[in-house]
Order: sequence, then C-alpha cells, then structure tokens
Amino acid sequence: MTFLVVMRKDLRLFVRDARFLATLGLFSASLVLILSVAFGPVFTEPAREAAATVWAALFFAGVLGLTRSLELEGESGAGDALRLSGADPFALYLGKTLANFALLAAVFLLLLPLTAIFYDVGTLRELPGVLGVAALALIGYSAWGTLFAALARGLQARELLLSVLLFPSLVPIWIGAVKLTHAYWGGAPVAEVKDWLKVMAVMDVLGLALAAWLYEAVEEAGE
Amino acid sequence: MILRAEAVTKRFDDRPVLSGASLSLEPGQVVHLVGPNGSGKTTFARIVATLLPPDDGEILVDDVPVSERRPQTRRAIGFASHAPLLYLALTPVENLEFFARLSGSRDGRRRALELLERFGLEQAAHRPIAHFSRGMLQRVVLCRALLNDPELLILDEPYAGLDDAGVLAVNQVLAEIRKRGRTALLIAHDKERGGGVITRTVRLRNGRVEEQT
Amino acid sequence: MTRDVPLWWRNGARWIWLLAAALVLASFWMVSRVPVERIMGPVQKIVYIHVPSAIVTLLAFGITFAAGIAYLATKQWIWDAIGAASCEVGLVFATVVMITGPLWARSAWNTWWTWEPRLTTFLILWILYAGYQVIRSSLKSGSKRTISAIMGVVFFANLPIVWKSVEWWRGSLHPRNVTMAPDMRQVLIFGMLAWFVVYLAAFERRLRLEWAREAYSREARDVADSAPLEARIR
Repeated sequence: MTFLVVMRKDLRLFVRDARFLATLGLFSASLVLILSVAFGPVFTEPAREAAATVWAALFFAGVLGLTRSLELEGESGAGDALRLSGADPFALYLGKTLANFALLAAVFLLLLPLTAIFYDVGTLRELPGVLGVAALALIGYSAWGTLFAALARGLQARELLLSVLLFPSLVPIWIGAVKLTHAYWGGAPVAEVKDWLKVMAVMDVLGLALAAWLYEAVEEAGE
Repeated sequence: MILRAEAVTKRFDDRPVLSGASLSLEPGQVVHLVGPNGSGKTTFARIVATLLPPDDGEILVDDVPVSERRPQTRRAIGFASHAPLLYLALTPVENLEFFARLSGSRDGRRRALELLERFGLEQAAHRPIAHFSRGMLQRVVLCRALLNDPELLILDEPYAGLDDAGVLAVNQVLAEIRKRGRTALLIAHDKERGGGVITRTVRLRNGRVEEQT
Repeated sequence: MTRDVPLWWRNGARWIWLLAAALVLASFWMVSRVPVERIMGPVQKIVYIHVPSAIVTLLAFGITFAAGIAYLATKQWIWDAIGAASCEVGLVFATVVMITGPLWARSAWNTWWTWEPRLTTFLILWILYAGYQVIRSSLKSGSKRTISAIMGVVFFANLPIVWKSVEWWRGSLHPRNVTMAPDMRQVLIFGMLAWFVVYLAAFERRLRLEWAREAYSREARDVADSAPLEARIR
C-alpha cells in the first residue's frame, strides 16, 4: 500500500536525523519546564495546569515536527521524484500524516511523564483514557497540520505562520484535549466532558476529508 | 512513445523564458538540446518531464496531453538533473526500492539491486548516500532515472563532475536507449562527451527550438 | 483585456458609493433618534455598528469561501480576485467588530474582554484571515491563486465547529436572542443593509484593483513576449 511505504520512509528519515529528534525533545521538554515554573511552585489546580502545560507544549513541538516533515522533500528535490512516480497524492498525504502522528505521539509520550511528575498528577488507572484522548487529538492535529504545512511550504517564517494558522483552526481540538485530560487527571468527572470526544472526532474526519479533496491541488500549486 | 511539445510558453514573473517552443521526439533518437546559459534549457526539460506546467502550449505523449496527469505517463519518463531527487539520509537500496514501490512495482528491491550492480554500486548499496562522492551520487541518480525502464529519458547536465568511467556509464545508457528504440533528451555543455551517441541536435534560441544540422 | 473595468461597472460603481453614503448617513440619523436603551445607556448604540459589521464579516468570508471553490473548479482568475477582494474588505469589518466588541463589553459588563463565544470566534477568524493576507502577499503569482483559494475554503470550513466549540467551552454572556423593541430592531436591520452596501462599495473598489493588476500583468507579458528574447537576458 502506497501510503504505508510513504509512512515508513518518513519514519526512517525522522529516526536517522538524531539532531532533529534531540532538538525536538529538548524544546518540548523546555516548554513543559517553562510552563511549570510559570504556574508553580505551588499549584492551585494541578490537574488543570498540568493539562494546559502538556497540550501547549505539544502544540508548539508539533509545529516543528510538521515543518520538518515537509522539508524532507524539498532538500534534495525528492518532491520532484515523488511526482514523477505517479503516486496518488492522497496516498502521499496519508503516509505523511501517519508518520507525523507517530512523531507527535512520541513527543506526547515524552511529555506525559514529565508533566505528571512536575505537577504530581495522574495515575496508571487513567492512563488509557488519557492516551485515547491524545490519540484523537493527535490524529486531528496531524491531519490538519500536514495539510497546512504543505500550504505553507517554501514560505519564509513558515513555523511562525503555521503556529498562527493552526492554533485558531484547531481550537475545538485543543479545548477538547485540555478539558478531557483535565477531567481524567482528577478535575471534573469525565462523563460531563464526554461530548468533547465527539467534537474532536468530527474535526478529525473533517480534516481528512478536506485533505482528500484538496491535497492534489496543494501539490500542484507547488510546481 | 512519441513526445510532442507544442508551442510551449513559460514566464517567470511576467518575463518570458520560453515562447512557443516546439519539439517532437521520436523513438530511437538521442536529442541534444543546446543553448547559452539562461536560455531556458532546464525549464524546457522540466516542462517536458511534466514537472512544471507551461503557461501556454501543450505536451503530448502519444497524443495524450500530460495535463491529464495519468500516472502511466509520468512513470514512462526518467528524469535526472542537478538536484539528486533522492533522500540523502537513505541508502541507494532504500531510495530505489521506495521509488519503485511508489511506481507500483512489486519487486522493487530486486530491480534496485539489479541497477546498482550494473553501475558498480553493490559495495556502497547499503550506505546513506549523503557521504557519496559526486561520481557515485550521479550513478545512483541514473539508477533512479532508469528505475521504471523509461521510454523517455531526460538528462540535464549528467556529465557534470563525472570522471571518465562515469561519462562512459552515461553514454552506455544513452546508446542502449537508442538501440531499444526509445528516446532521450540530453542537455550537456560538453558536446564531445556525448559525441558518439547523439543523433540530433536542437538549439533553444529566443525561447524557441531550432534544428541544428 | 481592457485596462479598466467596463463602462457599466464604472457607472454602477458611482451609484453604489452614493447609495452607501446615503444609507450610512440615514442609519446614523436613525441611531441618533432611536430611544436609548434602559439598562446599558447610550453606549448600547454601538450595537448598531457592531452587529451589522459582524454579519457583513461572515458574509464576506463566505464569499471568499465560495469564490475559492469556484476558482479551484474553473481556474479562472476572476474568482481568485473576488475571493481576495472580499477577504480584504471582510478583514476590515472584522477589525471593526474586534474594536466595537470590547468597547461594548466594557460598558455593558465592565470588562474589556470576556471569553464569550462570538467575540472569541471572531478573534479566531481575524487571525486566520490576517494570516491569509500575509501568506498571499508572500507568494509568487504561480501558486498564489490556488493556495489562496484553498485557504479561503479551509478556514471557513471549520467555522461552524469552532463557533460551537467556543460556545460550549464557555457559557454565553452575549445576549442570545436579543429581545429588542420593534423600533430598535428596525434600526438594526436598516444598519445591516447600510453597512452591507458599504461592503459592496469597498469590494467593488478592491476588485477593480485586482482587475487593473491582471490587465497590467497581461500587458507587460505581451510587451515582453514581442521583444527579442536575447535582448532581455542578463
């Protein structure tokens, strides 16, 4: 399946760029640290502050990852070769999106224990719930993010632009992610905020649908 | 396959680079495209390779306009230029296998190893190409261009930075293309290097293509 | 392609501007005459600009959305021109909303900003469409139109979800169904009409600018095409 081939290729390229991974990891860890310091040292609402911290850090780290993912093709003209291969543009998009999802998931798995430790929240019991929420959020982030990153590729200051565009567009996902994570970590009962799961799922589907429709046009626009 | 470029026009920021350039490539031809720097040779090559859409005019492959974007059309074209069009962090095998798979091939790995062996790269087949010398990289680039056994091979400055062995490899490829009744479009400054295999020379002048006898 | 828009357009444009001026003046006159709202006082009259501006903003971005789809389907430059013109004028109206909103909030609820849904959603819209302008201006003509069209479509497409989300996120301080006295509602509706015509006038001007740009570009191309190529190569 073409998209799996593309995903594997992207993952291989991520893994082989140790410098990038280290930078990404350090940057996101620093964000967690900065926010923890800003909220601390005594946390008035640890569950809430922790949820805010982990998702804010993840958002910005994600922008770095997404931009890098699109740069992979530009560096030595591989994008041209991709086009010449006659592969289906949506398969290319989907492969990239899945690879980005994996990358973001890895970042989340790094930030989760850090945040849990700094804020002293979360137990293993809620872990499946938190991971589920993260999965939903990150699918949406990857889907929309890959599309937007493709739009912004080749522009100056694309990381800045990407942050500016991605956050407002994905507000439903961010609100949902923070609220649900907060609930799981002992804030409100999860039942109250369960509706946000639906909101996030709708955003995920909408993002993938828009990409399916528009990705070929985005590819062509780069020519 | 027969490729016809008809009245291709391309502008960059309203400045024309190609104005009504037409060219017809027939099977068994190795066409040498010449012209001074900046005359639009690379642009023309990219348009013929379907990597760049023309502002006006059309490219027809076997009478099918490439603007229809049929995958088979693109797969029948092999393209090599200054940029390697490869992933530097991957090995030759990984690169070639990847592109072969994308083109729908089932035994990409076998084909990749075959090509690498042909060009004497078996030893280096499993090292990331980022550390390759210019000559070795160029050979991997050729492998990629030949991956789908293309009917039209477009080479933009393939001899740049190659030693004699490399030049020989390129010319062998061109000779084979000619023998098998396929087509090649060659852009090269050094006329002598490709001397033996070139069948026809055309010149880009004033944004148009002229025959050169 | 002519350098300026056709005669009927130019003539019509004059009338639209006159109409816009007349309607706005009439609207101001009506607003000065309408009874002062009991609870909030005279400042409440900001609503007569705030709400119409909001409606016009949504309309403007909706037009950009539709124009984006049309461009992607037909690739005709006029749809891109319409989308860009509408977006720019819409951004101006969105700015009006973002200024009048806090002013009203301050006088009504004694705080400059509340996270109430509509204002928050408009802030989001403002940021997105300001981003549209920034990106559009950094692109070369080749990809500019396609990317602008895609942005116009994508930014508007998730507006309903964003709006609903912000609403659920925070209960609404914003008066839901404004129960207005009939005479007040009339003035509001008239205001919507007036400001919509202002939008049309500004839109027309902006579209004319795109037309001129396209005409100039084509002229430059024709001139360049007919000169010998070698003379132009550095």
